[in-house]
Amino acid sequence: MHHVLLERWSRAISPVHQRDARIKLLAALIFLIVVATTPPLAWRCFVTYAAVLIAATLIARLPIAAVLSRAALVVPFCIVFGITTWVLGDHARALGLLEKAFLSAWTALWLAATTPLPRLLKAAEWYGVPRLLILVIQFLYRYLFVLSEQAQHMRHAAACRAGSQGAARSLFRAAAGALAVLFARSYQRADGIYRAMQSRGFTGSFPAVALGRLTVADAAFLLLAVVPVIAVRFL
Amino acid sequence: MHIPDGFLSTPIWITLDFAAAGTAGWLARRATTEVDESKIPLLGVMGAFVFAAQMINFPVAPGTSNHLVGGALLAYALGPWAASLVMVAILAIQAFVFQDGGIMALGANTINMALAGVWAATIPYRRFGASRTGIFVGAWLSVMVSGCLALTELLLSGVPIPSALVAASSGVFCVSALIEGAITVAVLQAIERINPGWVRKPVGERNRAAGVFLSTAVVLVVFGVLIASAAPDGLERLAERAGVAHQATTVYKTALADYQIAGFESIWLRKAAAGIAGLAAIYGLCLAIGALLRKRPLADDVVAAGAPELT
Repeated sequence: MHHVLLERWSRAISPVHQRDARIKLLAALIFLIVVATTPPLAWRCFVTYAAVLIAATLIARLPIAAVLSRAALVVPFCIVFGITTWVLGDHARALGLLEKAFLSAWTALWLAATTPLPRLLKAAEWYGVPRLLILVIQFLYRYLFVLSEQAQHMRHAAACRAGSQGAARSLFRAAAGALAVLFARSYQRADGIYRAMQSRGFTGSFPAVALGRLTVADAAFLLLAVVPVIAVRFL
Repeated sequence: MHIPDGFLSTPIWITLDFAAAGTAGWLARRATTEVDESKIPLLGVMGAFVFAAQMINFPVAPGTSNHLVGGALLAYALGPWAASLVMVAILAIQAFVFQDGGIMALGANTINMALAGVWAATIPYRRFGASRTGIFVGAWLSVMVSGCLALTELLLSGVPIPSALVAASSGVFCVSALIEGAITVAVLQAIERINPGWVRKPVGERNRAAGVFLSTAVVLVVFGVLIASAAPDGLERLAERAGVAHQATTVYKTALADYQIAGFESIWLRKAAAGIAGLAAIYGLCLAIGALLRKRPLADDVVAAGAPELT
């Protein structure tokens, strides 16, 4: 499953994993902005971007083929628009859609695969994202897989009992019932979670993941990641 | 409906990112003072519920199935403030963890789905009450508004979409919006059978006129966008005329300027200006709707993100 793999990747050890989450987030955002503002036919730029991403992926010791194939999940959607754009004669834009969407997805994946989500959220909070939103995202991510598994179990159970037999109408109603039960369980779970938090002395925020001090290595990483990209784009 | 990076033109994604960041920040600040600490886990878990709900397929026609989108359901279960915040959290996880929707396009996706989608759902709900009609029309409008906004942003970004494709995708939006309506009605009715307290009754019956006015306005905007997109010639002609006028003044003012560059710049400026103006109009409309709906007491709205005590 996607998330299990991503969790494993994000907890590996490499020179990139050890960099501060704030620096990685900043580098990724600058990179994304530069990619988004590049004209589609600037080949020199796109080759440089790809080279920087390949280097960043390799230094992070991520399996490059797996990373690429995951980033390519965005391609089918782009192909549809790419083809119509190409047919309508705007070849540059058609290429731009594909290049930018793919490189951007790769960047996002690289960030998520080298930084555990709690650290990424901590960095986002440091940059000023509201604490309530961060808390909601944290809870969402924690229970996302628990609830998805529950939904999957319910689906299997339903399939075992009735299979996909029966009138569409009754199947539809059964699916609605299943969702209602999932909703009820989620509601009760949230209640239980809060009671458990209270009994452990919840003070309004999670124990902080220490962000630590920025080091020279962090600064060097930022420069290495960002300078070539900006240089090739604007010089 | 998640727009990936690379599709929107720079002026558009920048505008939408700023607009969305401002709105989300304001939303969170309001909610921080209003949401009871005990409701924070509920908001996160409800977001996870919407994710998990995608695993349950609803048979629609033979061979095809569909799943819940969830914006309207969240709005009816948590109230629009909390629902918007939860949707922002969902979109953030989708962009950063699942690469579903771009990071630079997060602002656009937030405006389309977390803000416009959720708030659109509340208008018919307030107008028609928590009846089947109110729920159905609300969920329909929610998906419809999100889809049309996404399509409009792509068109304003200059992604050339032939009118046949615009018409086709509008049709697809309409059908999936109808399905979302049916699913939301069925699920909410089933939830009410388990515990009627979990579905929030619409509040603020008193300004009925405003409800009628707003729902009419939103429907008109949606269809206006559809018609304008299906017949882009009109838009094109308008832009052309504006461009010609602009170019004329440019040439007049800088007689020595390179013709080619002047033309290029005017095209870029024209597109940027048109894009920003259009999106500002849409955004202003969303804000106006929000401001009008905000007149009712906020406290019971957000706090009621919570539950009647479970036993």
